[in-house]
Amino acid sequence: MRPYELTLADAAAAIRAKELSPVELTESVLARAEAVESHLHAFVGVRAAEARRAAAEAQDEMAAGRHRGPLHGVPLGLKDLIDVKGQPTTASSSVRSDHIAAEDSTVAARLADAGAVLLGKTHTHEFAYGLTTPQTRNAWDEGRVAGGSSGGSAVAVAAGAATFAIGTDTGGSIRVPAALNGVVGLKPTYGLVPRYGVTSLSWSLDHVGPVTRTVEDAALVLAALTGHDPRDPASIAAPREAYPPHGEGDLTGLRVGVPRNYYFDRVAPDVESAVRDAIDRLRDLGARLVDVDIPMTRYVQAVQWGLMVPEATAYHEGTLRATPELYAPDVRVLLGAGELLLAGDYLRAQRARTLMRRAWARMLAEVDVVVAPSTPLTAAPVGQQSVQWADGSVEGVCDSYVRLSAPANITGVPALTVPVGQGADGLPVGMQLIGRPLGEGTVLRAGRAYEATRADAGRLAPDGGVLGAAASAPTPGLPAPVSAEPAPLSGEPAPTPAVEARN
Amino acid sequence: MPPEAPAPEDLTPQEAAQWARRAGLPLADERLAAVTATANHIQAVVATLRELDFGDVPPAPAYAVEPLARAYTDELEVSRATV
Repeated sequence: MRPYELTLADAAAAIRAKELSPVELTESVLARAEAVESHLHAFVGVRAAEARRAAAEAQDEMAAGRHRGPLHGVPLGLKDLIDVKGQPTTASSSVRSDHIAAEDSTVAARLADAGAVLLGKTHTHEFAYGLTTPQTRNAWDEGRVAGGSSGGSAVAVAAGAATFAIGTDTGGSIRVPAALNGVVGLKPTYGLVPRYGVTSLSWSLDHVGPVTRTVEDAALVLAALTGHDPRDPASIAAPREAYPPHGEGDLTGLRVGVPRNYYFDRVAPDVESAVRDAIDRLRDLGARLVDVDIPMTRYVQAVQWGLMVPEATAYHEGTLRATPELYAPDVRVLLGAGELLLAGDYLRAQRARTLMRRAWARMLAEVDVVVAPSTPLTAAPVGQQSVQWADGSVEGVCDSYVRLSAPANITGVPALTVPVGQGADGLPVGMQLIGRPLGEGTVLRAGRAYEATRADAGRLAPDGGVLGAAASAPTPGLPAPVSAEPAPLSGEPAPTPAVEARN
Repeated sequence: MPPEAPAPEDLTPQEAAQWARRAGLPLADERLAAVTATANHIQAVVATLRELDFGDVPPAPAYAVEPLARAYTDELEVSRATV
């Protein structure tokens, strides 16, 4: 096995055992990134010289007897919304062409303290305001979307071009690309990972978290990121916690909520089948399956949009007036439309969020985790805008990707996506494990136990997206792509493409 | 349920232009159609929240997670107490 193929946990173990050096690992991952980057475009830029220098420093430190932990000497990619002192934070936008970060974000500083080796910044949908990351291609099939907005992070990890990565999640932006590229993504509890120095999309919905090859790896990264930081007003004043990477395989006593509504509605049959098979495995591990009713589902999209749209517009108020032409057309339209939303709509969304949190708390009193598909469909062909479901309804692809992620952003609860196999098109399917606030330990334990049942846990994407164009053809029995243009809904005028580009 | 109220009306492009000027973001004519259509679509989605009867419910404590965590803890206790 080549070093870039190692998971974080395996690489850390090999480094610890002196079977692999940080320089060897970093060189291998850099070579892999160079080999795949020309067609995947996961990175805004790879800073090879700086990575080599950091790897050499890590190696010297270890030779001197100082070992900082499992991330020491391990290469990563950072979503390019996250500040690193002296480097641009482009947000994959021309608006930020002259930006240089004055200091490290909290997560960048903590990763540096942990001895991790920064390879470079990974692409995001512009300012995280979208679900496709158009610059980047899916690691399994270049004809499919990467997902977003942390598309670069997920693709880099799935392709072996980074041993792990960091993303942000406002409406699924860690979980969606992780699921679509067959890797693990964790949106932690709101406030658990400080966001200081991270470009915001929507303050009350933004989260930072790991994108990794395994649940075990996610636990290792999360432990390095948590801890109170007063510079983020949402940061939790709780002590840092270790998340044991080697969870118990026995889930006896764990109450797993299986939604009767919402999460399996308008879901592709092959996606549902893969997730239900995974739920059966949780049951076989001792978990008790409990039917649950997801509350207030009619209002999920309204709350998500009612919060995100005005908050995003507020964040960009200055640059939208100073340099509007530098935004991509889809993002510029959304930001402009946000100026026309009423304050009453925003307050209604915040009040509805109060009700939704209360209702979710009542539901979560009955179970330890809720399981659900991460996305209703696998990675869509590039350019596909809409999907028609079996009930005849038509939905924007991006709206579809957000639909199953948004509840955890609104309520602030932790949500993990774990690969559970492939759909009929051969593309990855993800399962969410959604927990109580600060229930990361339980979510990771369940995910780890499931992962341990799979022989393919931690696998990389097929080399070079080998499924290629053949796999981009529609598959019989799956939701049909409607067209490259948004379809009319219920006889109403078609929404603009920008409306469907949501995080 | 709150009392029946008429659904909010769509903005015309001319009204959107006026609202945008009021917000300090003048819109060029060629941008009006796209921004107006997007704003109306967003409004149609968020208008669903008008169905809810909020009573005295306050806005969520968006930037302070301790109240969030406490709210969950309180709900859990209430739920357990009533089981």
